Amino acid sequence: MDTNDLIAEAKAKFSHNSTKAYLRDKYNSKLIIAEQGGLWKITPEFISFLASVYIPNDVVIMDLYESPVKVDRTKFLNKAVNTYTSVMNEYHKEWEKLKKNR
Amino acid sequence: MTRGVLLFAFNTPKVNYFKMAIAAAKRINHFLKLPVSLITDDIQNYNGYEFDNIIYSESIKDNFKEKNPWYNKGRHQAYELSPYDETLLLDTDYVVNSDKLLEVFDYYTDFCCHDHTSYLLVPDANQECMGVHSYNALWATVVFFKKTKRVERIFNCMKMIQDNYNFYAEIHGFYSFSFRNDYALAIANKIINGQFNEPTDFIPYPLVHAGRDTKIEKLDTKDFGTEYKVTLTNYNDLKNKKEYIIIKDIDFHMINKDNFMELFNV
Repeated sequence: MDTNDLIAEAKAKFSHNSTKAYLRDKYNSKLIIAEQGGLWKITPEFISFLASVYIPNDVVIMDLYESPVKVDRTKFLNKAVNTYTSVMNEYHKEWEKLKKNR
Repeated sequence: MTRGVLLFAFNTPKVNYFKMAIAAAKRINHFLKLPVSLITDDIQNYNGYEFDNIIYSESIKDNFKEKNPWYNKGRHQAYELSPYDETLLLDTDYVVNSDKLLEVFDYYTDFCCHDHTSYLLVPDANQECMGVHSYNALWATVVFFKKTKRVERIFNCMKMIQDNYNFYAEIHGFYSFSFRNDYALAIANKIINGQFNEPTDFIPYPLVHAGRDTKIEKLDTKDFGTEYKVTLTNYNDLKNKKEYIIIKDIDFHMINKDNFMELFNV
Protein backbone atom coordinates (compact mmCIF):
# COMPACT_ATOMS: atom_id res chain seq x y z
CA MET A 1 0.00 0.00 0.00
CA ASP A 2 1.32 3.41 -0.97
CA THR A 3 1.46 5.70 2.07
CA ASN A 4 1.28 8.82 -0.09
CA ASP A 5 -2.02 7.59 -1.53
CA LEU A 6 -3.34 7.03 1.97
CA ILE A 7 -2.32 10.52 3.08
CA ALA A 8 -3.84 12.10 -0.03
CA GLU A 9 -7.07 10.18 0.51
CA ALA A 10 -7.24 11.20 4.18
CA LYS A 11 -6.61 14.86 3.33
CA ALA A 12 -9.27 14.81 0.62
CA LYS A 13 -11.74 13.25 3.05
CA PHE A 14 -10.86 15.84 5.71
CA SER A 15 -11.49 18.72 3.31
CA HIS A 16 -14.70 17.09 2.11
CA ASN A 17 -16.05 16.71 5.64
CA SER A 18 -14.97 20.23 6.60
CA THR A 19 -16.83 21.59 3.59
CA LYS A 20 -19.88 19.56 4.52
CA ALA A 21 -19.79 20.95 8.07
CA TYR A 22 -19.42 24.52 6.82
CA LEU A 23 -22.31 24.15 4.38
CA ARG A 24 -24.49 22.51 7.03
CA ASP A 25 -23.93 25.45 9.42
CA LYS A 26 -24.47 28.04 6.72
CA TYR A 27 -27.71 26.62 5.35
CA ASN A 28 -29.13 25.49 8.70
CA SER A 29 -28.91 29.11 9.81
CA LYS A 30 -30.74 30.22 6.66
CA LEU A 31 -33.60 27.84 7.49
CA ILE A 32 -34.27 29.74 10.72
CA ILE A 33 -36.85 32.49 10.28
CA ALA A 34 -38.81 34.90 12.45
CA GLU A 35 -42.52 34.74 11.60
CA GLN A 36 -45.81 35.59 13.27
CA GLY A 37 -44.29 36.31 16.67
CA GLY A 38 -41.99 33.29 16.92
CA LEU A 39 -38.65 31.97 15.70
CA TRP A 40 -38.74 28.75 13.64
CA LYS A 41 -36.51 26.24 11.95
CA ILE A 42 -38.05 25.11 8.68
CA THR A 43 -37.74 21.35 8.25
CA PRO A 44 -39.60 18.87 6.03
CA GLU A 45 -41.41 17.61 9.16
CA PHE A 46 -42.48 21.12 10.09
CA ILE A 47 -43.81 21.75 6.58
CA SER A 48 -45.74 18.44 6.70
CA PHE A 49 -47.28 19.49 10.00
CA LEU A 50 -48.32 22.87 8.60
CA ALA A 51 -49.71 21.17 5.49
CA SER A 52 -51.90 18.78 7.46
CA VAL A 53 -55.60 19.40 6.81
CA TYR A 54 -56.42 17.91 10.22
CA ILE A 55 -54.80 20.88 11.98
CA PRO A 56 -57.04 23.94 12.42
CA ASN A 57 -55.96 27.13 10.65
CA ASP A 58 -55.29 29.01 13.87
CA VAL A 59 -52.96 26.72 15.75
CA VAL A 60 -50.55 27.05 18.67
CA ILE A 61 -47.03 25.70 18.08
CA MET A 62 -43.87 25.75 20.20
CA ASP A 63 -41.16 27.85 18.56
CA LEU A 64 -37.37 27.54 18.80
CA TYR A 65 -37.44 29.60 21.99
CA GLU A 66 -39.82 27.06 23.53
CA SER A 67 -42.64 29.58 23.59
CA PRO A 68 -46.17 28.66 22.48
CA VAL A 69 -47.13 30.90 19.56
CA LYS A 70 -50.51 31.12 17.83
CA VAL A 71 -50.05 31.16 14.06
CA ASP A 72 -52.10 31.32 10.89
CA ARG A 73 -51.23 27.86 9.51
CA THR A 74 -51.89 28.39 5.80
CA LYS A 75 -50.12 31.75 5.69
CA PHE A 76 -47.15 30.23 7.49
CA LEU A 77 -47.16 27.20 5.17
CA ASN A 78 -46.57 29.41 2.13
CA LYS A 79 -43.69 31.20 3.82
CA ALA A 80 -42.19 27.92 5.05
CA VAL A 81 -42.35 26.23 1.63
CA ASN A 82 -40.84 29.26 -0.11
CA THR A 83 -38.01 29.51 2.44
CA TYR A 84 -37.28 25.79 2.36
CA THR A 85 -37.19 25.46 -1.42
CA SER A 86 -35.10 28.57 -2.04
CA VAL A 87 -32.56 27.75 0.71
CA MET A 88 -32.26 24.09 -0.28
CA ASN A 89 -31.88 24.93 -3.98
CA GLU A 90 -29.08 27.35 -3.09
CA TYR A 91 -27.51 24.65 -0.84
CA HIS A 92 -27.65 22.09 -3.65
CA LYS A 93 -26.16 24.52 -6.17
CA GLU A 94 -23.20 25.32 -3.92
CA TRP A 95 -22.68 21.68 -3.04
CA GLU A 96 -22.56 20.67 -6.72
CA LYS A 97 -20.14 23.50 -7.49
CA LEU A 98 -17.80 22.46 -4.69
CA LYS A 99 -17.92 18.84 -5.81
CA LYS A 100 -16.90 19.87 -9.33
CA ASN A 101 -14.04 22.05 -8.05
CA ARG A 102 -12.39 19.15 -6.27
CA MET B 1 -36.78 53.64 16.06
CA THR B 2 -33.07 53.95 15.21
CA ARG B 3 -30.85 51.02 14.30
CA GLY B 4 -27.11 50.86 13.96
CA VAL B 5 -23.89 49.01 14.59
CA LEU B 6 -21.46 49.79 17.39
CA LEU B 7 -17.74 48.97 17.35
CA PHE B 8 -15.03 49.41 19.98
CA ALA B 9 -11.46 50.25 18.95
CA PHE B 10 -8.70 50.72 21.51
CA ASN B 11 -5.37 50.52 19.69
CA THR B 12 -2.54 48.55 21.22
CA PRO B 13 1.16 48.80 20.29
CA LYS B 14 0.72 45.70 18.13
CA VAL B 15 -2.78 45.96 16.67
CA ASN B 16 -4.40 48.97 15.04
CA TYR B 17 -8.00 48.32 16.02
CA PHE B 18 -9.07 51.71 14.66
CA LYS B 19 -8.06 50.73 11.13
CA MET B 20 -9.67 47.34 11.62
CA ALA B 21 -12.85 49.14 12.64
CA ILE B 22 -12.77 51.19 9.42
CA ALA B 23 -12.41 48.01 7.34
CA ALA B 24 -15.24 46.39 9.30
CA ALA B 25 -17.47 49.47 9.03
CA LYS B 26 -17.14 49.61 5.24
CA ARG B 27 -18.32 46.00 5.00
CA ILE B 28 -21.16 46.66 7.45
CA ASN B 29 -22.35 49.62 5.36
CA HIS B 30 -22.15 47.54 2.21
CA PHE B 31 -23.88 44.35 3.40
CA LEU B 32 -26.18 45.56 6.18
CA LYS B 33 -26.80 49.15 5.01
CA LEU B 34 -26.62 50.31 8.62
CA PRO B 35 -24.79 53.29 10.16
CA VAL B 36 -21.73 52.48 12.26
CA SER B 37 -20.66 54.28 15.43
CA LEU B 38 -17.26 53.85 17.01
CA ILE B 39 -16.20 53.99 20.65
CA THR B 40 -12.51 54.77 20.88
CA ASP B 41 -9.86 56.49 22.99
CA ASP B 42 -8.13 58.02 19.97
CA ILE B 43 -10.42 60.39 18.09
CA GLN B 44 -7.39 62.09 16.50
CA ASN B 45 -6.79 58.94 14.57
CA TYR B 46 -9.80 59.55 12.34
CA ASN B 47 -8.88 59.09 8.72
CA GLY B 48 -10.52 57.91 5.52
CA TYR B 49 -13.98 56.95 6.70
CA GLU B 50 -16.93 58.81 8.10
CA PHE B 51 -18.43 57.05 11.11
CA ASP B 52 -21.99 57.90 12.08
CA ASN B 53 -20.62 58.89 15.51
CA ILE B 54 -17.20 58.73 17.11
CA ILE B 55 -17.63 58.46 20.86
CA TYR B 56 -14.73 59.00 23.20
CA SER B 57 -14.07 56.60 26.03
CA GLU B 58 -10.92 56.20 28.10
CA SER B 59 -9.36 52.78 27.62
CA ILE B 60 -8.25 50.77 30.63
CA LYS B 61 -4.70 49.72 29.90
CA ASP B 62 -4.16 46.92 32.38
CA ASN B 63 -5.12 43.85 30.40
CA PHE B 64 -2.91 41.42 28.50
CA LYS B 65 -3.41 38.49 26.16
CA GLU B 66 -0.51 36.13 25.51
CA LYS B 67 1.84 38.76 27.01
CA ASN B 68 0.62 41.46 24.59
CA PRO B 69 -1.43 44.48 25.69
CA TRP B 70 -5.14 43.99 25.03
CA TYR B 71 -7.43 46.89 25.95
CA ASN B 72 -10.80 45.18 25.79
CA LYS B 73 -12.28 46.38 29.06
CA GLY B 74 -15.24 48.74 29.14
CA ARG B 75 -17.51 46.85 26.76
CA HIS B 76 -20.31 47.26 29.30
CA GLN B 77 -20.47 50.93 28.23
CA ALA B 78 -22.10 49.83 24.97
CA TYR B 79 -25.54 50.16 26.54
CA GLU B 80 -24.94 53.66 27.88
CA LEU B 81 -23.02 55.01 24.89
CA SER B 82 -24.93 53.48 21.98
CA PRO B 83 -26.77 56.22 20.09
CA TYR B 84 -29.28 53.68 18.71
CA ASP B 85 -32.55 52.22 20.03
CA GLU B 86 -31.57 48.85 18.55
CA THR B 87 -27.86 48.12 18.47
CA LEU B 88 -25.74 45.45 16.93
CA LEU B 89 -22.48 45.38 18.89
CA LEU B 90 -19.71 43.69 16.88
CA ASP B 91 -16.03 42.95 17.37
CA THR B 92 -13.87 44.72 14.80
CA ASP B 93 -12.44 41.35 13.67
CA TYR B 94 -15.88 40.02 12.79
CA VAL B 95 -16.11 39.85 9.01
CA VAL B 96 -19.58 40.77 7.78
CA ASN B 97 -19.89 38.89 4.51
CA SER B 98 -23.66 38.67 4.01
CA ASP B 99 -26.87 40.35 5.14
CA LYS B 100 -27.64 37.50 7.55
CA LEU B 101 -27.24 39.65 10.68
CA LEU B 102 -30.17 41.86 9.69
CA GLU B 103 -32.46 39.03 10.77
CA VAL B 104 -31.63 39.53 14.46
CA PHE B 105 -33.62 42.76 14.34
CA ASP B 106 -36.71 40.62 13.60
CA TYR B 107 -36.16 38.26 16.54
CA TYR B 108 -38.68 38.72 19.32
CA THR B 109 -36.14 39.56 21.98
CA ASP B 110 -34.41 42.56 23.55
CA PHE B 111 -31.01 40.87 23.78
CA CYS B 112 -29.18 38.04 22.05
CA CYS B 113 -25.70 36.75 21.47
CA HIS B 114 -24.08 33.49 20.35
CA ASP B 115 -23.93 30.62 22.83
CA HIS B 116 -22.26 28.13 20.51
CA THR B 117 -19.58 28.19 17.86
CA SER B 118 -18.21 26.27 14.94
CA TYR B 119 -14.65 26.46 13.64
CA LEU B 120 -13.89 26.43 9.94
CA LEU B 121 -11.79 23.33 9.15
CA VAL B 122 -12.28 21.96 12.66
CA PRO B 123 -15.47 19.91 12.40
CA ASP B 124 -16.91 18.86 15.76
CA ALA B 125 -14.74 21.25 17.80
CA ASN B 126 -15.77 21.33 21.46
CA GLN B 127 -17.72 24.25 22.87
CA GLU B 128 -15.70 26.40 25.26
CA CYS B 129 -16.43 25.86 28.93
CA MET B 130 -15.26 28.65 31.28
CA GLY B 131 -13.97 26.26 33.94
CA VAL B 132 -14.35 22.66 35.08
CA HIS B 133 -16.99 23.62 37.64
CA SER B 134 -18.60 26.25 35.47
CA TYR B 135 -20.76 26.54 32.38
CA ASN B 136 -20.21 27.22 28.69
CA ALA B 137 -18.96 30.62 27.60
CA LEU B 138 -21.12 33.05 25.69
CA TRP B 139 -19.63 35.15 22.92
CA ALA B 140 -19.47 38.94 23.03
CA THR B 141 -18.40 39.02 19.36
CA VAL B 142 -21.95 39.65 18.12
CA VAL B 143 -24.46 41.11 20.58
CA PHE B 144 -27.84 42.52 19.64
CA PHE B 145 -29.65 44.66 22.20
CA LYS B 146 -32.50 47.06 22.68
CA LYS B 147 -32.58 49.69 25.40
CA THR B 148 -34.68 47.98 28.05
CA LYS B 149 -34.28 47.77 31.83
CA ARG B 150 -33.33 44.08 31.64
CA VAL B 151 -30.59 44.75 29.09
CA GLU B 152 -29.30 47.67 31.15
CA ARG B 153 -28.99 45.28 34.08
CA ILE B 154 -27.01 42.77 31.96
CA PHE B 155 -24.48 45.45 30.99
CA ASN B 156 -24.30 46.85 34.54
CA CYS B 157 -23.68 43.33 35.74
CA MET B 158 -20.85 42.98 33.20
CA LYS B 159 -19.22 46.03 34.78
CA MET B 160 -19.55 44.50 38.24
CA ILE B 161 -17.87 41.33 36.95
CA GLN B 162 -15.11 43.33 35.26
CA ASP B 163 -14.48 45.21 38.53
CA ASN B 164 -14.36 41.95 40.52
CA TYR B 165 -12.91 39.65 37.88
CA ASN B 166 -10.51 37.82 40.19
CA PHE B 167 -13.38 36.84 42.46
CA TYR B 168 -15.46 35.44 39.60
CA ALA B 169 -12.41 33.68 38.16
CA GLU B 170 -11.90 31.99 41.52
CA ILE B 171 -15.55 30.91 41.71
CA HIS B 172 -15.72 29.61 38.15
CA GLY B 173 -12.20 28.21 37.97
CA PHE B 174 -10.70 30.15 35.06
CA TYR B 175 -7.53 32.21 34.77
CA SER B 176 -7.99 35.86 35.67
CA PHE B 177 -4.81 37.00 33.92
CA SER B 178 -6.71 38.10 30.79
CA PHE B 179 -10.07 39.78 31.18
CA ARG B 180 -12.53 38.38 28.67
CA ASN B 181 -15.81 40.03 27.77
CA ASP B 182 -17.14 36.61 26.72
CA TYR B 183 -16.84 35.36 30.29
CA ALA B 184 -18.20 38.57 31.83
CA LEU B 185 -21.18 38.34 29.49
CA ALA B 186 -21.79 34.66 30.27
CA ILE B 187 -21.75 35.25 34.02
CA ALA B 188 -23.85 38.42 33.79
CA ASN B 189 -26.44 36.69 31.63
CA LYS B 190 -26.78 33.83 34.13
CA ILE B 191 -27.09 36.20 37.09
CA ILE B 192 -29.76 38.33 35.43
CA ASN B 193 -31.73 35.25 34.37
CA GLY B 194 -31.72 33.74 37.88
CA GLN B 195 -29.09 31.12 36.89
CA PHE B 196 -31.34 29.85 34.11
CA ASN B 197 -30.69 29.91 30.39
CA GLU B 198 -33.12 32.21 28.66
CA PRO B 199 -33.47 30.70 25.15
CA THR B 200 -34.38 34.04 23.58
CA ASP B 201 -30.96 35.38 24.62
CA PHE B 202 -29.16 33.09 22.20
CA ILE B 203 -28.78 33.43 18.45
CA PRO B 204 -30.03 30.07 17.16
CA TYR B 205 -27.07 29.28 14.91
CA PRO B 206 -23.35 29.09 15.65
CA LEU B 207 -20.79 31.85 15.56
CA VAL B 208 -18.33 30.81 12.84
CA HIS B 209 -14.71 31.16 13.88
CA ALA B 210 -11.69 31.19 11.62
CA GLY B 211 -9.17 29.89 14.15
CA ARG B 212 -5.62 30.96 14.86
CA ASP B 213 -4.21 28.21 12.66
CA THR B 214 -6.30 28.95 9.61
CA LYS B 215 -5.39 31.35 6.85
CA ILE B 216 -8.01 33.19 4.85
CA GLU B 217 -7.34 34.40 1.32
CA LYS B 218 -9.59 36.41 -1.00
CA LEU B 219 -10.77 34.59 -4.09
CA ASP B 220 -13.04 37.35 -5.26
CA THR B 221 -10.95 40.43 -5.99
CA LYS B 222 -13.89 42.86 -5.94
CA ASP B 223 -13.96 45.36 -3.02
CA PHE B 224 -16.70 43.49 -1.22
CA GLY B 225 -16.11 40.03 -2.62
CA THR B 226 -17.71 37.25 -0.60
CA GLU B 227 -15.65 34.22 -1.63
CA TYR B 228 -12.64 33.14 0.43
CA LYS B 229 -10.26 30.21 0.57
CA VAL B 230 -9.64 28.88 4.07
CA THR B 231 -6.45 26.90 4.57
CA LEU B 232 -5.33 25.00 7.59
CA THR B 233 -1.85 26.17 8.54
CA ASN B 234 -0.35 23.55 10.76
CA TYR B 235 3.16 24.85 11.28
CA ASN B 236 4.50 21.45 12.30
CA ASP B 237 3.46 19.88 9.06
CA LEU B 238 3.54 22.18 6.07
CA LYS B 239 2.00 19.48 3.90
CA ASN B 240 -1.27 20.22 5.68
CA LYS B 241 -1.45 23.47 3.72
CA LYS B 242 -3.06 21.48 0.95
CA GLU B 243 -6.22 21.19 3.01
CA TYR B 244 -8.66 23.93 2.33
CA ILE B 245 -12.28 24.83 1.86
CA ILE B 246 -13.94 27.63 -0.05
CA ILE B 247 -16.51 29.71 1.77
CA LYS B 248 -18.99 32.17 0.35
CA ASP B 249 -21.67 34.55 1.67
CA ILE B 250 -21.07 33.61 5.30
CA ASP B 251 -19.99 35.88 8.17
CA PHE B 252 -17.03 34.78 10.27
CA HIS B 253 -14.93 35.86 13.23
CA MET B 254 -11.19 36.03 12.49
CA ILE B 255 -9.12 35.16 15.52
CA ASN B 256 -5.85 35.70 13.65
CA LYS B 257 -5.50 39.52 13.70
CA ASP B 258 -2.42 39.53 11.44
CA ASN B 259 -4.39 37.66 8.80
CA PHE B 260 -7.29 40.15 9.17
CA MET B 261 -4.95 43.12 8.68
CA GLU B 262 -3.33 41.50 5.65
CA LEU B 263 -6.67 40.50 4.12
CA PHE B 264 -8.26 43.94 4.38
CA ASN B 265 -5.09 46.02 3.85
CA VAL B 266 -5.17 47.48 7.36
